[in-house]
Amino acid sequence: MKFFTDREICYADILPPSEVRARIEVAVLNFLKILTCADPAISDLLLINRKSSNRRVSQGLLTDDDTWIFLSRSFCKRSLMRANAAKAFIRVWKVMEMCFKILLQEKRVTQRELFYKLLCVSPDCFSSQLQVNRTIQDVVSLLRCSRFSLGIMASSRGIVAGRLLVQEPDKEMVDCSECGSSGYAISGDLNLLDRLVMKTDARYIIIVEKHAIFQRLAEDRVFNHIPIILITARGYPDIATRFLLHRMSRTFPELPIMALVDWNPAGLAILCTFKFGSIGMGLEAYRYACNVKWLGLRGDDLQLIPEESFVSLKPRDLQIAKSLMSSETLQEKHREELALMVQSGKRAEIEALYFHGYDYLGKYIAKKIVQANYI
Amino acid sequence: MHPSVFSEQTVVDRAISDICILLQCSRHNLNVVSVGKGLVMGWLQFLEAGRKFDCISSPTTAYTIPVHVEEVKDIVSVAKYILIVEKESVFQRLANDKFCNANRCIVITGRGYPDIPTRRFLRLLVEKLCLPVYCLVDCDPYGFDILTTYRFGSMQMAYDAKILRVPEVQWLGVFPSDFEKYDLPQQCLLPLTAEDKRRTETLLLRCYLQKEVPEWRLELELMLQKGVKFEIEAFSVHTLSFLSDQYIPSKIQEVEVLPGNKIKS
Repeated sequence: MKFFTDREICYADILPPSEVRARIEVAVLNFLKILTCADPAISDLLLINRKSSNRRVSQGLLTDDDTWIFLSRSFCKRSLMRANAAKAFIRVWKVMEMCFKILLQEKRVTQRELFYKLLCVSPDCFSSQLQVNRTIQDVVSLLRCSRFSLGIMASSRGIVAGRLLVQEPDKEMVDCSECGSSGYAISGDLNLLDRLVMKTDARYIIIVEKHAIFQRLAEDRVFNHIPIILITARGYPDIATRFLLHRMSRTFPELPIMALVDWNPAGLAILCTFKFGSIGMGLEAYRYACNVKWLGLRGDDLQLIPEESFVSLKPRDLQIAKSLMSSETLQEKHREELALMVQSGKRAEIEALYFHGYDYLGKYIAKKIVQANYI
Repeated sequence: MHPSVFSEQTVVDRAISDICILLQCSRHNLNVVSVGKGLVMGWLQFLEAGRKFDCISSPTTAYTIPVHVEEVKDIVSVAKYILIVEKESVFQRLANDKFCNANRCIVITGRGYPDIPTRRFLRLLVEKLCLPVYCLVDCDPYGFDILTTYRFGSMQMAYDAKILRVPEVQWLGVFPSDFEKYDLPQQCLLPLTAEDKRRTETLLLRCYLQKEVPEWRLELELMLQKGVKFEIEAFSVHTLSFLSDQYIPSKIQEVEVLPGNKIKS
């Protein structure tokens, strides 16, 4: 056990546009200073390494519940001096320049729009969307400010339903239990999410992996029978959904958060992303890690599922399982469940429970919650 | 329950379609619904199953299109037209630029290929409000396919086309000719991949392109001939709000000012 592990953390600040512009200006001035001094040099750009080798874990002191992953102080360089990598160096500056201009205009831009702008302004440097996305993460690493602070807007796939009232400042209160089966759409604007006023009389928060399951539960108004809030990112969670979930966990700390995922490694991976954060956006994601428990599907539910609903694990599933197994953050009980999955070589979807009737899912969730059957 | 008969999802989907054709009804009549993913914003107000959707109070906020379209009633609108956009990112761009504040319209997106609720909702709006409908898609085979799905219906659900298609849909853009007209730099043109070309050739074979909209066919052939495509986001090269401030308003004015200019409809 290590104390003060968070001294090693590297993180990206959430800043207003004027401060981000200031950081860009400082970067430019430093570069020029070194270039024009008595012993001139072209300085390298030092970026936080976004590989798993630089991944660290902050283990909760008293319980496992407060664990999250973060990136530490291992650096990689972008250098103009290395022939093959010189373009990557230039790309970082080009993106900073573009973001500076956009922030001056007080606008926001999507990654795709940024791609086109860069493509036209500097066609020799940028050839694909992937390159632009990677360079954006380089800028986040260099300036240590969040992607959203740079003026880059990512849309959210998240939706919420259930016993929650949300209110945007100066707008009407929205009752998420009256949003129908399509729910309340989570905005991609993190500033807006930060200003949402939330009230609830729920006792549990349930993360649902898939949209179809979310819709089924919302339509059946399961939250009228059990006091819950339903939230989904419709697959792998985006930053906005994680942000809102985290805010909910801070605003309503007594509400346990549980996940309802398919019985396969990808489902567990999604749970772990909500729970621990991710490396891809490691400088930002650590903030939004929440204490998420695994409600279902789990090993002890398999007896409820007919034999025919099981499908074999594919090579991709096994790859994901291997990567999860090697992660030191995986809790003991989750590890056992994963081992069972791999050993049986099978996977099953939540929909398999419909075998017992379409309203069975609500009863299943209620029973598990009442029995406190989550890990 | 019957694993030997039903091995995967596509088998079930086909069976549902067969039943619909046999009974001459729609999927929602069988209480089979899909996940709803459409969004709407603008100068519109309606009720769905007791819940009020007051988009007018906040015309730049996105609302999810209800899945049970048969429960939508009391539609009220002060819009002058309905704008369909292919992609969610374009919808977001319009929301951020507060497009609906300056333009009295309703904006809908199916976020890609439109699902059944979105198409039914659009059809309902057109029937109740009798407004012109403009469709904005990327200048590529996928965009074109989405445009034709809104207008003519999809191939897979051809049996349901009568209630799902919206013949009032007009193609607002983006056309291959817009490239020069709006001064886009060469780099924004992306080459058609082999898959794109195959797709375009398949699209050209569709019957309605001969009879109902021969002008659409010309544009598609032009795309194939030039071997290039481009996306709506390319307009951000000029300014981020070029789409909202200039492209869309000028295109709509063209259509309105020359009502005989039904060449793209």
